[in-house]
Amino acid sequence: MKAIMRVMTGLLLLAWLATGWTAPKIETWHTANGAKVLYVHTPDLPMVDIEVTFDAGSARDGKAWGLAAITNALLDAGTKGHDENAIAEGFNALGAQFGTSADRDMASLTLRTLARQPIMDEAVALFTEVLSQPAFPEGPFVRVKRNTLTALKEEEMKPSTLAARAFWKALYGDHPYAHPVSGLPETVKGLQLEQVRAFYKRYYVAKNGLISIVGAVDRKQAEALAERIMGALPAGKKAAPLPAPKPLDKAVDIEKPFQSTQTYYYLGQLGIKRGDADYYALFLGNHLLGGAGFGSLLMEEVREKRGLVYSVYSYFLPLKQPGPWLVSLSTKNATAYEADKVVRQTLKAFMQHIDPDKLQAIKDNLLGGWPLRFDSNAKILGYINMIGFYDLPLDYLERFPREIERLTADDVLAAWRRHIHPDRLVKVMVGGFKASKAQ
Amino acid sequence: MKRLAFLLLFMLALQPAWAKIYKTQLENGLTVLVKPDHRAPVVAHMVWYRVGSNYEPNGITGISHMLEHMMFKGTETLGPGEFSRRVSRMGGRENAFTSRDYTAYFQIVGKQHLNDVMALEADRMRHLKLDDKEFQKERQVVMEERRWRVEDQPPAKLFELFNAAAFVNSPPHHPVIGWMTDIEHYTIDDLRQWYQRWYAPNNAILVVVGDVTPEQVVSLAKKHYGPLKPETIVPPKPQKEIGQSGVRTMEMKGPVKVPQLLMGFHVPSLVTAKDKKEAWALELAAAILDGDSSSRLSTELVRGKQLAAAAGAGYNSISKWDPLFVLEGTPADGVSIEKLKQALLEQVERLKTTPVSEKELARVLAQVEASRVYSKDSVMGQAMVMGILSAVGLPPDLDEKWADKLRAITPADIQAVAKKYFTQDNLTVGILYPNGEAPKKAAMPAAMGGHLR
Repeated sequence: MKAIMRVMTGLLLLAWLATGWTAPKIETWHTANGAKVLYVHTPDLPMVDIEVTFDAGSARDGKAWGLAAITNALLDAGTKGHDENAIAEGFNALGAQFGTSADRDMASLTLRTLARQPIMDEAVALFTEVLSQPAFPEGPFVRVKRNTLTALKEEEMKPSTLAARAFWKALYGDHPYAHPVSGLPETVKGLQLEQVRAFYKRYYVAKNGLISIVGAVDRKQAEALAERIMGALPAGKKAAPLPAPKPLDKAVDIEKPFQSTQTYYYLGQLGIKRGDADYYALFLGNHLLGGAGFGSLLMEEVREKRGLVYSVYSYFLPLKQPGPWLVSLSTKNATAYEADKVVRQTLKAFMQHIDPDKLQAIKDNLLGGWPLRFDSNAKILGYINMIGFYDLPLDYLERFPREIERLTADDVLAAWRRHIHPDRLVKVMVGGFKASKAQ
Repeated sequence: MKRLAFLLLFMLALQPAWAKIYKTQLENGLTVLVKPDHRAPVVAHMVWYRVGSNYEPNGITGISHMLEHMMFKGTETLGPGEFSRRVSRMGGRENAFTSRDYTAYFQIVGKQHLNDVMALEADRMRHLKLDDKEFQKERQVVMEERRWRVEDQPPAKLFELFNAAAFVNSPPHHPVIGWMTDIEHYTIDDLRQWYQRWYAPNNAILVVVGDVTPEQVVSLAKKHYGPLKPETIVPPKPQKEIGQSGVRTMEMKGPVKVPQLLMGFHVPSLVTAKDKKEAWALELAAAILDGDSSSRLSTELVRGKQLAAAAGAGYNSISKWDPLFVLEGTPADGVSIEKLKQALLEQVERLKTTPVSEKELARVLAQVEASRVYSKDSVMGQAMVMGILSAVGLPPDLDEKWADKLRAITPADIQAVAKKYFTQDNLTVGILYPNGEAPKKAAMPAAMGGHLR
């Protein structure tokens, strides 16, 4: 039975190969000053996507929570040559799209432009200027800080935000992943412009960064682009490795009463780092448990069978250090405890026994859907940026389906039992669940 | 003959990776739209029904959305949830969404599965099994969805009430998801009737974008959708919004710390405008106020005078009923709602009195033209645009002509629509004020509080 299924999955892969499908060809090299480059040539559309990423996420905040995010957001607030309006006007008049983003590990700048000259050249010149010569002027700093505080004030009125914050804090304690990327009102209030400038100077350097390029530029053009953009930065040095978070040694239950019609719920624990050998087995198992939407066990048990939620899911978020594994949902207050019970039962049953038919179905979903994960320049950019940042093998996109195909139910169970401990989970509930406490 | 073949080959080689839209109609009235895109061996398959919340009478508001949920609950030959399981097994992504003027279903799959997803989608076009037990469970899911989207989100509630105040008698009065009391009281027969009435090939549009040829798609469509019987479709009554003669203001209090402001003017859409130029001029007005990071609201209200923490303008021109031209804002710390309102009104006043500059128009056009290229990066994105346009009765390739249409508009045209529509008598204002009480948070004891178990 198993052997037949193995063959069938193999056929799925073969079916893709027969359609002429191959994973994108990723090339890599370093710029003269030591920045890593990842590049994929996609000649079909006359456009280029560029992403520059640094190890400068909120895990580098130190005590100044929110510093990484505000530094990233202020990059286009002015350079020596242009004020913020001129920068915005510059990109917009070219039809180019500029963006910045920060999470716990990364801080990024992105550019999407037409590949036509002189448009691309002008867009890249402005992008390079914003990246390498931000002036961090006082006026925009004060304004962005004030508006961030306004937004944070509003966030504190949302049960979903409070639940997420409580979850991360319970999981990470005093680890740099514990606090929200945006910071908290009391820490943002104290941020100083000198800290922003120092943060930029320390972390936005070639050896601490990488550049990803996808689009209608050939290898020679890509090399020139990478040199031009990253070459404008000092070489600098890599950020120091982050400390490892300590796993919890007992279960933690956090219940915060809040006036809302739904209760917002998290259940989880520490997961794994990017590059962990068990990732394939854990990912495949999670895809079955709660990662594939309809077709996942949690969706079936909590929504389809019982109508308790609109949405329920689980995922691993592998980071430089172990990121969380979590289940999340929201349900009306009266069924909060019932939902918790069903989630735990589903997890328990899953970790005892995996139905081979269901495993096969979820493998088919992953393998059959694999090419959908990089069928656009935007998606390819996302993958190569991740591959570059976390030092994953260049053949990751081809290796992934092969590894998944090989895994048996026993492999998956063994990995889950090694990593996931149902008796040591963090549970967070924020909402009006109290009325229904009696079970 | 040989020469012709050579010529054809030559033309094929010159063809860009994206191509024109192929359009046809089956005998049973199903509209078929195909756009080849050969960059990856995948295909987006969508079916759009011309029905949505704007088609709904009072008492069963939101029923189009409820029916969308029930479309996954089995047919005469397929068990509940089986549709999703089969698509999942193909490695496909699938879902559905409901809006004011349409309800749409989609799958994105490897091109070798197009035949199979078409068979599934055709089956549920006319053979849905609406089972009461499944419905009762799914109603709970929809109620959770409403709680999650609206009940615990004061800004979303404000938007509902604001729409209800602005639209007195026309269908956008009620929310797409429906009022909670209506969701609570649908019957299975309501759903059966709604399904019977609107789900038929002559009320549907098939959109396929991806690594396919039009011939291939049409032949598959004939095989799967061709045998389905059409229905007599009676379009909804006009329900034209009554005229407005004076500002309408509605206020709401909620558990927020920062107030919010919405302002809307009744305007025509690309569908309803007698003179289409008006709708294109309104498109430009929206872009000039809030098209990008150098638009007027960002430059002047957020960055310049710093009156707003956030400000925006929006206009949905692709709409079967007259929409609103909406301005919205969150005041910056210490700025009153009244002051922000005046600043936003000054902005629309300026559109009336001062012609927009060539530079601003050029910037908007540069972006529209670049976006046309960027939008080709996603097969799903392309299918979406074709479907939305077609569902409201506009040409499916209108986005290709978007830039040309806008280029034909003069600064005087923009002044004219501003003068005509952005008037006090045509204005609805919605304000969300903090209710002054913080949501009851329990004091957290040490170590994250709550209780440790």
